[in-house]
Amino acid sequence: MGSIFPTFVIQALHGLVYGCLLFLVSAGLTLVFGMMSVLNIAHASFYMLGAYFSFQMLRWIGNFWLGLIVCPIVVGFLGILMERFLLRRIHSAGHVQELVLTFGIAFMVMESVKWVWGTQPQLVPIPPSLNWSFNIMGNLYPFYRLFIILFSVIVMAFMTFILMKTRLGITVRAAVSDRDMVSALGTNTEFVFMLVMGIGSWLAGLAGVIAGPFLSTYPGMAIEILVDCFVVTVTGGLGSLLGAVVASFIIGQLSSFGILFIPRLAIVFAFLLMAVVLIIRPSGLFGEKA
Amino acid sequence: MKNKGLYIVIGFISVIVLLLPSILPPFQLRMVTEIVILALFALTWKMIFHHAGLLSFGHSVYFGIGAYVSVLGWLHIKDLSFLSGILLGGLVAGLIGLILGAFLVRMKGTYFALLTLAFNQLIWAIVWKWRGLTGGDDGLGKFSKPALLGIIPMTNPKNFYFMSLVIIGISAFLCWYITKTPFGNVITAIKSNEERANFIGFNTNVSKLIIFTIAGFFAGISGALYAQFQEFIAPSAIDLGMSTNVLFMAFIGGTGSFWGPILGSGIFVYLSEYLSILTDRWEFILGFIFVIIVIFAPQGILGLYKKK
Repeated sequence: MGSIFPTFVIQALHGLVYGCLLFLVSAGLTLVFGMMSVLNIAHASFYMLGAYFSFQMLRWIGNFWLGLIVCPIVVGFLGILMERFLLRRIHSAGHVQELVLTFGIAFMVMESVKWVWGTQPQLVPIPPSLNWSFNIMGNLYPFYRLFIILFSVIVMAFMTFILMKTRLGITVRAAVSDRDMVSALGTNTEFVFMLVMGIGSWLAGLAGVIAGPFLSTYPGMAIEILVDCFVVTVTGGLGSLLGAVVASFIIGQLSSFGILFIPRLAIVFAFLLMAVVLIIRPSGLFGEKA
Repeated sequence: MKNKGLYIVIGFISVIVLLLPSILPPFQLRMVTEIVILALFALTWKMIFHHAGLLSFGHSVYFGIGAYVSVLGWLHIKDLSFLSGILLGGLVAGLIGLILGAFLVRMKGTYFALLTLAFNQLIWAIVWKWRGLTGGDDGLGKFSKPALLGIIPMTNPKNFYFMSLVIIGISAFLCWYITKTPFGNVITAIKSNEERANFIGFNTNVSKLIIFTIAGFFAGISGALYAQFQEFIAPSAIDLGMSTNVLFMAFIGGTGSFWGPILGSGIFVYLSEYLSILTDRWEFILGFIFVIIVIFAPQGILGLYKKK
């Protein structure tokens, strides 16, 4: 017991870190889906752009904190542009066309990233102020990972506050449950969509910036997290933020312990979980609309 | 009169298609063969999308299963003939279509798309990790290329082209024919309004299951041919990239008509071939073209023509 327990704790912490990142990315994905019924495949591309922008900022200016503020805002702005000038154009053509369009955009972002930064993984250094380790039950644990958890929890709390207590949050929640009615009541839903798209992309960019030094920054990182995010949003229920929280942590732990116990099949677990949940409960754990 | 014009066009195309091997240099013939094989793959994807109204993100599962199973057949079963190998691939792929379909029938829209994606990743991971059987990353090569009916050598690219043309032609005709049968009408009815079709008394789930099985079978045939065409098979035949390609082909050509995916596969193969010669950034340009087409011609190139 004495020797197994610390490994267990460390592994659970790993899972928690990844779960937090997953949540930051999935939150935007699930909110956008809840409002517009569009599954934004390009969402994870914003996450990747966040990581690469931050990498570039570090190269130019060398300040991680400035990047943490600026890069997600740039990414969020890109999200707004995409909604305004691309998605809205083909909204009338149907959801499938929108889905396929976001897919094409994701493909282009990946190719552009390869173009600009190359296919090799880029090393993003951990900022010196966060680059130290502390002791957990005889194991050294890097503080940066704890920082990811803390930071994500703060962002999550902030988002929950906005969503639950502010006027904007109420409008968003109302639009998720019935957008036509909200529109009929005189709210400019198109503007709210754009804003949600921006905030969602901002969150994804944020996750990208803090994930950069932790996971590797390479052109495949978008697909990698995208697939896990799909699993999260679908398992939790599309459009449900609570579902996204719960599912993120389940997937985080699953991938962390999966690698520990059955490394060969670790990648299969998440899909197995998703397939099982969808088969038993097609609308996901917390989803209402099927 | 409209039909007469159509027959002339079809006759014209068939003559060209038959003459191609004598006109084209070997390199071009190879590309045309690839187009012919991929066209069937795109057609089966369109069957599910256009007729049943479901967007599949994991169509390469059937393609890849067909390819792997037939290759394993040629490797391990003694004296497996060319056609039986292809049929074997198709049958197993159809079976997989039936099994996965059993889970997929209840899903709609985005959930359907995501579950197909999950299945795709799941099966790709199995193929990739099961080194003992599939060779993992290294893939499988050096399998036999038996002569057709024991006499016609398939190593000759011209023979291979004609053989692919015949197999794909028959398969494509059957795919088309199915949509014209009463069963095809039921599928279209499901697309327009599943509840109503159900209410009239059709078991919509069974109908959908049948269409998944058929699409799986023909996608498997196409995959098996593709394996013989490449003389090599790797996990890239069953990954998301392959599912992406089929989406590209179908959407570029047009998802609304029979010829759309065929045209799309032609454009796709030529574009990727020539763009990759011109520039290293061909995938970016391909994606750009794709986005432009989705925005300005949501129904594909043939969809533009139809509007007029």
